[in-house]
This record gives sequence, structure tokens and C-alpha cells, in this order.
Amino acid sequence: MTVQQVLFIVISLVVLGAALFVVTTRNLFRAALMMMLAFFGIAGLFVLLEIGLFAVAQVLIYIGAISILVIFAVMLTRGMQGMVPRNSQAVGAAVTAAIIFAVLLLILGPLRVTIDLARWPVISLFAGNASPREVGGIAWTPADRAIPPVPETYIADFGRALVDLNQYLLPFLLIAFLVDVVLAGAIFIARQRRPAEVIEERRLRAEEDAEEAEAMRRASASPALPEGAVASAVDH
Amino acid sequence: MNPINDLLKILSDFVAGIVSGIFAFSPFLADLVTMGLAAVILCTFAALSFMGLTYVERKVVARIQDRLGPNQAGPFGLLQPIADGIKMFTKEDTTPANADRWVYNLAPLVIAIFALTTYAVLPFAPGVVGTNLNVGVFYLIAIGSGSIVAILMAGWGSNNKYALLGAFRTVAQLVGYEVPMLLNVLPVVMMAGSMSLVDIINKQTTLDGNPGIPFIVFFPLSALVFLISGIAETGRSPFDLLEAESEIVAGFHVEYSGMKFALFFLGEYVNALAVAFVFSTFFLGGYAGPILPPYVWLLLKAALIFFIFMWLRGTLPRIRIDQMHNLNWKFFVPVSIVHLVVVMALMKLFVTDPAQAEAFGGILVAPIVQAVILFVASMTVLLVSLAIAARRARVLRLQEEAILEQRRAENLAAARA
Repeated sequence: MTVQQVLFIVISLVVLGAALFVVTTRNLFRAALMMMLAFFGIAGLFVLLEIGLFAVAQVLIYIGAISILVIFAVMLTRGMQGMVPRNSQAVGAAVTAAIIFAVLLLILGPLRVTIDLARWPVISLFAGNASPREVGGIAWTPADRAIPPVPETYIADFGRALVDLNQYLLPFLLIAFLVDVVLAGAIFIARQRRPAEVIEERRLRAEEDAEEAEAMRRASASPALPEGAVASAVDH
Repeated sequence: MNPINDLLKILSDFVAGIVSGIFAFSPFLADLVTMGLAAVILCTFAALSFMGLTYVERKVVARIQDRLGPNQAGPFGLLQPIADGIKMFTKEDTTPANADRWVYNLAPLVIAIFALTTYAVLPFAPGVVGTNLNVGVFYLIAIGSGSIVAILMAGWGSNNKYALLGAFRTVAQLVGYEVPMLLNVLPVVMMAGSMSLVDIINKQTTLDGNPGIPFIVFFPLSALVFLISGIAETGRSPFDLLEAESEIVAGFHVEYSGMKFALFFLGEYVNALAVAFVFSTFFLGGYAGPILPPYVWLLLKAALIFFIFMWLRGTLPRIRIDQMHNLNWKFFVPVSIVHLVVVMALMKLFVTDPAQAEAFGGILVAPIVQAVILFVASMTVLLVSLAIAARRARVLRLQEEAILEQRRAENLAAARA
């Protein structure tokens, strides 16, 4: 075994162990910290693949931002220590995880499958003349094992791909737009209201409450009406 | 090789030669031992500079505040850091009864680790750098966000409300000030055309190794905002809200004693020194300088920046939490974005590289002309934004005074009635 393989196994074990701890521990805060360790291990895997940019981005985004948010959410959860985890969705989660794993294995892994749509029961009606297509990633034969080295200019290539009209420009702009919308929404929610606005909001809320109270009073004050009248009123 | 100018390079080559001689049977093992030695040397340097800096800072701040500072241990109090170290070692190591033990005990380690890993990418002299990452700038920012985790761990693990409050403040401050920091590193990265720290220094030197135009001339606004955000990122005065004694006792490290407390302290100083080094690399040309050896130049520049830190600590009071957030989100971030757009447009318009001018268009100018244009643009953005901020602050102050006056009048009327 080469050094890379040993490191890969060690890091994978750390990631898997941390992930297992996350889903089994009862202490939510420790679970969040262990999730961070798992993310850190994945950054280590990126380093092993010699793409430092993604490793650093993993640390910055997943540890520096997402995990911090998760920890905040956890700290604001009541009674988070020593509670008994109840999970009514365990079966569904397991099935979903298995399906995702199978799809990943199919796309990225050694499996290669020939999909012949023309022979599928219903689809054959619509796509009778479809040619069979081979799905699957890297061929897992020993000869192909040597991974081509990452080019020196991969950061520049990555940057150009993001602004290239034929590659990822549209998703990139969409994400930028989404972030803008989210920021605007956050500012709108957290903005400081003018006193006039606050008064108006309170007045509206008071009116709504009054109407509701009035409706309830009427409903409780008129039990003498026959059943049919209420039903017809609801129908109209 | 000039034996004085390249002293660090010669020494490191010498050590690497000995190691590779001993481990001649396995180049991998030789590499591992060399890197381990380099890491140990860098960490020792950081820890020793922490010892020295505590003494220097206490002396300088004492001078500013018309006191003497440490003067009992040894001549001029020079042995004070050692006395402090002995005190720290012999103190009782306490753990709160209801603390989350693992998290509580790991937090100081994590903060020290993230502080020390910064030094892996800092270039100290030509050829003397832990590792010349091609994403060095990005790495520095990412590692900086790691200390947030450690502070959250400390705040939570202590099971103390003041510690938790301090941790919350810290996260708001550190996450917030990362934004202007990133926005103001971008012009430097674009100018250098690389995220490697060595390339950034090379861009600030002329081809024959003489110092060129440092980036502080190109982007004075970026330098200023980066410096202030750097102080906020390390949580030093006047941004030490995370450990405000008068409000939340000592913030996230209130429950720590002895060496664990010392590790938090070390993290703060090592981070501050790293910011000083990074600032001198980004904006002052790093180790480039005439006559003196490169490492001396770097240390001089970093010392100057650190002196500014101490100066601010000695003169400014702690700012309020709303002022801190207003300064960041309502001043630094918008100004930095405007500055970034202006600088980007000008860098496309006035280019120094003939090949680029031919490929993308633009007016070909000498580097010095480009520097003057960018300097004027950056200073214009800075002065205009300061003028707008000053006018706005005046309006707000007048409004506040008017409201106070009205209340006073009402109170007076009520008292009379």
C-alpha cells in the first residue's frame, strides 16, 4: 500500500466514525462538533486528491459557516442534553440513504449499467427507437487506476468555467441572484420599523383580534339556530 | 548566495541536508522529518514571540498610560514573561462541576492549533516558507474561521452564562468582520493575479529583486479596512467585546485557569502577530526591502503593525456592541463593495501588461501611473465615504439631542404640574 492509500483509509475511518457518532449520540452539541470533524476529514480527502482549493473552501464554508449556524440552532434548542432521541422516520431515511448510495455508486463508482429504454414496459411506447445507453463512471479495471494529475492551472480553469457561457454561467448567476434575494429578505425581516409602522401594525392586529372575538361571541351566542341553517351558510 | 541575506535559507537547507543524509533509505521519511522539524521551529517561534510580545505590550501600554509596567522581575522586568509562565504552570487546574468535560478541555487546544497553523503559509524570506500554497490567501481566511469554533466550544463547554454570552458575541463579531476582510483582500489578489503569498510578494518587487511599489499605495482604503477588521478578527482592544470585563466578566474564558487560560492568551497574541505578518505581506511588500536582509525587513514591518495594535489598545476605549456592528455592516461592507467595483473597473481600463492590453483592450500605462490612478481612486472613495458618514452621524446626533431636549421639557412640565 502506498502512503496515500494509508492516509485515505485513516481519514475515511475518522469521517465514518464521526458521522456515526453524529447520528447516535444524545448530546446535540457534541453531535454538531463531530459533524465538524467529519467535514474536516472530507477536506483532508480533497487534499489527498491534490485540489487544495476545494479543501479550503470546505473548511471555510462547511466549518466556518454552516456548522456555526447549526451550533447556534442547537444552542437555541430547549432541553437538548440527555434527551431520548425519537425517530419515526428511520426506515424512510435508511431507504433514501441506500438509494442515494446506489445512485452515487452507479454514477461515480465501478458499476457500469446498460440502460435500454426501448425494452422498458411503458417507456417503450414513447421511446421505441431509443438506442441503449451505457451509464456509469470510471471503469474500475486495474489499468485505469492511475488518476490523471490535477493540472497546475485548475483554479484558473475553475474560475473560467464559472463565467463561461457554455459551462456554468447560468447556475452561477442563479446562485448569485438567490443570495441577493436571501440577503434582501433578511434585511426586510430584521429592519428597524418606524414608530408609525409599528402603530399601524398593532392597530391591524387589534382589529383582527376584535373581529375574531366578535365571531366567536356570535358563534357561542347563537346555538339556537337549527343544524340545517348553519350547514347551508357554510355551503354558501 | 549572500551569507547574511540568505541566512534563513542556508540554515534550512543545511538542516534539510542533514535529515536527508540520515534518512537516505527513505525519501518519504526524510520529507516527513523535515516538515515536522519545520513545524516545530515555526510553533516555537510563535510561542516565543508570544512571551516577548506580552512583555513589550505591557511596557508600551504602560508608557502610553504614564505607568511603569513590569519592573520587578529581572532588569527592566525582562524576566516577567518567565515569572508569568511559572505562575500559570503552578496554578490549580479547575474544571466546573457541570462542564461538558471533553468540549471544555479540547477548546484551548483547538484555538492554539488554529492560531499556529496560520504560520504554515507565511513567507519569511525568499525560499523560506512552510508551504507555498497556491490558495494561500484563501487558506488564511479559512483557518481564521476555525477559531470561532474553538471559542464556541469554550463558551458552551464551561456551562456558564457569561461564557455563553461571550461566545455569542464572538461569533457575531468574527463572522461579521470576515466579510470586509475578504472584500479587501480581493483587490490584492486581483492585482497579483494569484492567491499564493509568495506571488503576492513577488508582484510587489521588481524583477531584479528590488522593492517595487507596495500594494498599500494602490489600495490605501483596503489597507485601512483590512487592518481594522484584522484587529476585530483577533478580538483585541478596542474590539475586545468578547472578553469585556465590565459586562460579561471575561467572556468565553471566564472558567479557565492555569495553562488552559494561557493557551487562550497565546491564541490571541499569535493571531495578532499573524495578522501583522499578513498585513505586511499583502500591503507592505513582505520581506522586500533595500540593504537589510529580507527577514529583518519582514520583522520590522510586522513590528510596526503590532506597535499600531498596542498603540490603539493604549488609547482607545472599548466600543459598544451596536457601534461595532454598525461600523461593520453599515460602513465597511458597502464602502468595500463600492471600492472593489471602482478598482476593478480601473484595473481593466489601465493595464500594465502589453499582452493583456492586446487581448482584452485597455490603455497601456507604466506601473507607476497605474499606481497613482488607483491611489487617487481609492483615496477618493475613502474620503467621500467618510464625508457621507460624518454628515449622517451629525444628522443622527442632532435628532437624538432634539428628542432628549423634548423629553427634558416634558419631564419639567410634568414636575411643575
